[in-house]
Amino acid sequence: MPTPNRNAWLLQGIGALVLISLVALLAFNLQVNLQRTGLGLGFGWLGQAAGFALGEHVVPYSPSDSYGWALVVGLTNSLRVIVVGLLLATVVGVSVGAASYSTNLLFRKLAFAYVALLRNVPLLLQLLFWYFVVLLSLPGTPLAPLGSLISLSRQGIHLAGLELSTEFCALLTGLTLYTGATIAEVVRGGISSVPSGQWDAYRSLGMHEWLGLRHVVLPQAVPAILPGLASQYINLAKNSTLAIAVGYADLYAVSDTTITQTGRAIEGFLLLLGGFLLIDLVISALMTALSRLVSWRR
Amino acid sequence: MASMMRSRLLALRKGLFGSWWDGLITVALMAILLLALRAAAQWALKDADWSVVSTNLPLYLLGSFPPEEQWRPLSWMVTLLLLTLATALMPLWRITCPGAISSLLAKLLPAAWILSIPAGLLLLAGGLGLAPVATRSWGGLCLTLILTLMSGVLALPIGIALAVGRWSGLPLIRGVCSLYIELMRAIPLLSVLFFGQLLIPLFLPAHLEVNRVMRAVLALAWFAAAYVAEDVRGGLQAIPRTQQEAAEALGLSLQQVLGLVLLPQALRIALPSLANQAVGLLQNSTLLAMLGLVELLGISRSLLANPLFIGRYLEVYAFLAVVYWLLCTLMSLLARSLEHHLRTA
Repeated sequence: MPTPNRNAWLLQGIGALVLISLVALLAFNLQVNLQRTGLGLGFGWLGQAAGFALGEHVVPYSPSDSYGWALVVGLTNSLRVIVVGLLLATVVGVSVGAASYSTNLLFRKLAFAYVALLRNVPLLLQLLFWYFVVLLSLPGTPLAPLGSLISLSRQGIHLAGLELSTEFCALLTGLTLYTGATIAEVVRGGISSVPSGQWDAYRSLGMHEWLGLRHVVLPQAVPAILPGLASQYINLAKNSTLAIAVGYADLYAVSDTTITQTGRAIEGFLLLLGGFLLIDLVISALMTALSRLVSWRR
Repeated sequence: MASMMRSRLLALRKGLFGSWWDGLITVALMAILLLALRAAAQWALKDADWSVVSTNLPLYLLGSFPPEEQWRPLSWMVTLLLLTLATALMPLWRITCPGAISSLLAKLLPAAWILSIPAGLLLLAGGLGLAPVATRSWGGLCLTLILTLMSGVLALPIGIALAVGRWSGLPLIRGVCSLYIELMRAIPLLSVLFFGQLLIPLFLPAHLEVNRVMRAVLALAWFAAAYVAEDVRGGLQAIPRTQQEAAEALGLSLQQVLGLVLLPQALRIALPSLANQAVGLLQNSTLLAMLGLVELLGISRSLLANPLFIGRYLEVYAFLAVVYWLLCTLMSLLARSLEHHLRTA
């Protein structure tokens, strides 16, 4: 990193001036345009009745509730699919990542094929596939292969007392399998970062394979995996906005409807960004705490 | 030769039937795979109605580009295909062609790639004697390709500038660049594209109009630039500090240190992750289908809304998956060939 000198300060001064005038120009244009549409800026509309129904909500909601509350419902819907998605994608990713180290050749090849297929097809296309091709082609009358434990139909899936909508299931399946493939890569990279001598070492000591993995390989692989895992978790959270493609009422979808109805594009957009910054911050904080815990336990 | 075959076969047997447990898994997996393959073949060859794909191929390729002008995007896409083949087969023709021809080709290829973008724009939009075609008639694979290429070419310099800004010792510039990179990486692409389509006009004077395709390119590029910046920064950090000190000791100016010593090495280190970003850009262009652009996925959505092809989801999505998979895999192969070339050059 170079050390700043006098020229550097001049350069920064010019940079700051250019930036400030650019921002001022954009703000001026915005003000002119908002005056033209007669809207202005403000958040008073958040208290008005939303008037639109939402397909599903974990907290009570009716169309007579306010826009503000509708956005909160959207946020809870986002959180629901993100949290469940994180857990399932981790299971899929770790399994596929581990399978690429299996002693069985066919298993290894299948793990590679899974990653190569899922990572090279756009997520949006995968989501549309799960929704329109798989879930919407289920029969209208519920299919119950395991009695009351699970029942599948076009209207949704009942799993051990839980009622899951078709939209939620499509989004969850798509996000889980896609993120699972990227997590598998992270896991594989983490395991391959452990020098092969370490494996030879515990084997030559006569340690059982599981003991060796648990006490020699994983303590070295996990710290290498966690940062990559954190960024995949944030990717999953960001990708959950594709919910709108399958009609799931997440934060983005509710913001979109709100903006269309109120015309409050700037304010709606700012709230959307705020929501996502919050989600990212929570995920980063949790993952940082987790890596601290792991390094502390070592 | 025979002993090599024998050892290969032995390795295969060990891989598939190493223990009775492995053998059991192999047989079970094989059975499932065969059943799945048979079902897929049965569907693809007998049950599927491919007319939704075969009768609409021009739409998938070019969207609703005026028929009499369709030779323009077609010839551009054929040129891209030839360039891709020439680049991918570089190891082959470097050996087989005589030295003079091979070195000339190697020099021409980068220039041809760079020229392919302005040439594509000219062919699509018109000008220089070609009839103008409005961007709303652009569509299909052709629009996907121009979106990806243009945003990629814009994202690279912006990303490098951001990385250098973040690397520089100037607190103000570093702060602004870091803030931009972190903020952009924290928000969903869909919201950035939404901003590009609906909010950019609010920040521009009323008489200045930027068309939808350009707004999409700008949004994609500024989004990707934040990720490119992080990859380049990773490359810069991987270079030993002594390189910079040596260059400064030789009396090189800061610009020379960066341009001649640090950035070439940083970009070479960052190449694999930059290639991933390029593949990501192609996949991300599908999100524009949600904002009303008729690129490859968008045109398919409007086709599926046509009563003639109602319910033909699986045929269309299978076709699209194959196309995107081929494009992404081709891009990864190109990047690997470039990496190999840089390592041996």
